[in-house]
Amino acid sequence: MSVATSATTSTLHNSSVHSLRDEWAVDLRGVEKVYKGKVHALRGIEMRVRRGEIFGLLGPNGAGKSTLVKILMTVISPTKAEGTVLGKPIGHKPTLAKVGYLPEHHKFPEYLTGAQIVDFYAALAGVERAERKKRTPEVLELVGMREWANKKVSGYSKGMRQRVGIAQSLATNPDLVVLDEPTDGVDPVGRREIREMLTRIKEEGRTVFLNSHLLSELEMVCDRVAILVQGKVKSQGTIDELTVKRQVYEIEVATLGLDGVEGLVGALEGRRAATMLAGKVEAMPLGTAQGALVAKRVGIRGQLASGEDVEIDHAMIRVATIDAERVQPVLDALRARSYVIKSVRAIRPSLEDLFMEAVTDPNTGRALGPGAKREASSERGNP
Amino acid sequence: MTATWALILDAYRDLNSKKLFWLTMIISGIIVLGFAAVGIDESGLSVLWWKLGDFNGNLNSNTVPRETFYKSIFSQFGITFWLAWGASILALVSTAGLIPSFVQGGAVELVLSKPIARVRLFLTKFACGLLFSALQVAVFSLASFLVIGLRGNSWEPSVFWAVPLVVIFFSYLYSICALIGLLTRSTIAALLLTMVAWFGLFVINATDAAFITLRETNQMNIERIEKSVEKGEKFAIRQWQQVWITQQSKQLPEGSDVPVPPVPSTMELDDSVPSLAENRRDLENARSNQRSWEKWFTMVVGVKTLLPKTGETIGLLERTLDKEMALTGRADDEDEDEIANQPPGKANKVRFGERMSKKDERELGKRVELRLRSRSVWWVLGTSLMFEAVILTIACWVFAKRDF
Repeated sequence: MSVATSATTSTLHNSSVHSLRDEWAVDLRGVEKVYKGKVHALRGIEMRVRRGEIFGLLGPNGAGKSTLVKILMTVISPTKAEGTVLGKPIGHKPTLAKVGYLPEHHKFPEYLTGAQIVDFYAALAGVERAERKKRTPEVLELVGMREWANKKVSGYSKGMRQRVGIAQSLATNPDLVVLDEPTDGVDPVGRREIREMLTRIKEEGRTVFLNSHLLSELEMVCDRVAILVQGKVKSQGTIDELTVKRQVYEIEVATLGLDGVEGLVGALEGRRAATMLAGKVEAMPLGTAQGALVAKRVGIRGQLASGEDVEIDHAMIRVATIDAERVQPVLDALRARSYVIKSVRAIRPSLEDLFMEAVTDPNTGRALGPGAKREASSERGNP
Repeated sequence: MTATWALILDAYRDLNSKKLFWLTMIISGIIVLGFAAVGIDESGLSVLWWKLGDFNGNLNSNTVPRETFYKSIFSQFGITFWLAWGASILALVSTAGLIPSFVQGGAVELVLSKPIARVRLFLTKFACGLLFSALQVAVFSLASFLVIGLRGNSWEPSVFWAVPLVVIFFSYLYSICALIGLLTRSTIAALLLTMVAWFGLFVINATDAAFITLRETNQMNIERIEKSVEKGEKFAIRQWQQVWITQQSKQLPEGSDVPVPPVPSTMELDDSVPSLAENRRDLENARSNQRSWEKWFTMVVGVKTLLPKTGETIGLLERTLDKEMALTGRADDEDEDEIANQPPGKANKVRFGERMSKKDERELGKRVELRLRSRSVWWVLGTSLMFEAVILTIACWVFAKRDF
């Protein structure tokens, strides 16, 4: 995919976006949606997306992601909703002229060419002919479809359709771009190009609202994410904010020596760096998110003098802290006993680990079932 | 307007991509060429260079003027059979999928997420669906206008009334198709159920026509029996009075004046001419039947008022083209002398089927035509468009309220 020139970037750029950066692009409060048959798809969504950021919406199938996106785009009417999109109340039609949208499983008319698609949807958004004539080749260039601009969509591959879809979402020079599964059906090379494209869109000052199942991709491009489970926001924030809570320091010693694990316990307790519990426990390694696909380990657990949890797992010591200073007494204790420290690493869970934790039932340890909840008979009075 | 034009252009591109659109256009072209190939002169009909004769003097330019001949082919065949039936079926097949594909998942989101009101969006899409019909009729009418002008030496702009009338006719059906397509999101369901609805309308129209025919037939009978009774009475009075005078003459002395005979009673008349009593009973029965027909006819018209009047809408074009064919006067006026010379007897009633005389057939046809033409344009178009407006209001409401 070709890279847009800085000149193209500047033409697409809307300077007014910068002046409104301090405002929220999307600010949702108490969004609820109950479908016919009392299916409670959304249960009071609270979510905020800053202007100029890439925001990722995660969630298992049936969590309500598409419903939420459709409410933003006025495709679905909410049962109850407060909040704004680009500073205007949800459902304010004229605001949609400033919002680009690519729905999931989109279907473009097969009789149109790529250029005609971009032109048609821009015209529906009220973009004047002269402006469309100028912008259509620009956005097709941006997504690497300029050479295919005059070929009919019926001859396009899935990836090409996605690219044209992204192009049409940008044709209106939007402040907010809502993309529902934009990498669906795209090969790895294409995905990388789409990620680069998203970064460029962000650099142009636009806000990107991304709905995707591909956690690794979101992790790479998103500034902030929200995890939606059974119609509720389970957690939201920057990936740093979400992962830091589960950060651990892993200290690996080169060899255990003749005393084995007991030697490490003695080293930590001898210097009063930590108090270890008697006996071994079989559990998930310290810092592992619930639901993560990690095997249980047999280790000794205890607490540092400063209160942080610590775990000795063979030649590995894990300290649950985000503060490197708290790890120093452990390192001092090991050095005092002449242990060779092979590595010290700060480990954070991946977005996938966090996601799995969010979708795992804490009582059963199993993933929550997909799909929105059906209203219980006692809740029938709810909207 | 940018968005509206975009939707119209898209609808045109959609039609342009459909083979059926061009197939219909080609068939229209062939029909107009066939229309142009038919000629009429003093010697009769001809197709290109082949003379077909004048069918025993019934069909030549002396009996049917050229312009009437071409206009008649245009309205009877071109409009009634081709555009109102053949082309409309093809138009429905071509456009039935327009609304279902518009509201299918993945497509509708893209359109609904634009800053356009849903009602406007739906109505524009509906109007785009009429484009197929409008383009077909416009091209057909233009070609027919040229044929009537060049071959019939009559430049008749009223031919172009076919464009709005056929489009309005198609819009009745298309509104039903659009609503069903919206509710079911299925092209097949939309097409089939619209065809069923069309057939239903056809049945109601046929019932209406049958009731008009039966009522008019009965009315013709009433008028004939009334005349027969009237003539029978005159005959009976004359006969009774002659008998009375003869009897009085015998009783009176010779040379004296015979008094003016009295007016006989109905019973005396019936006794003197037995067929008169029978005619009176027939008249009573026919009047009773007429009241019954009126009741049924009123009910059918009532139902029909609520529904689109497909046949009559197309019929309006014939009214426009056929102004000179003023259907005034009654054919039975010509029978005055013929009936007067008949001996009193049972009235010569109108009969259906093979037993109906050509003359009766013509008179009945005229009466039915007159009855149909007596229906106002407001009743035909206004009430039909009201039906369409109700259907479209329901469709707009569904479209505006539905979650996609």
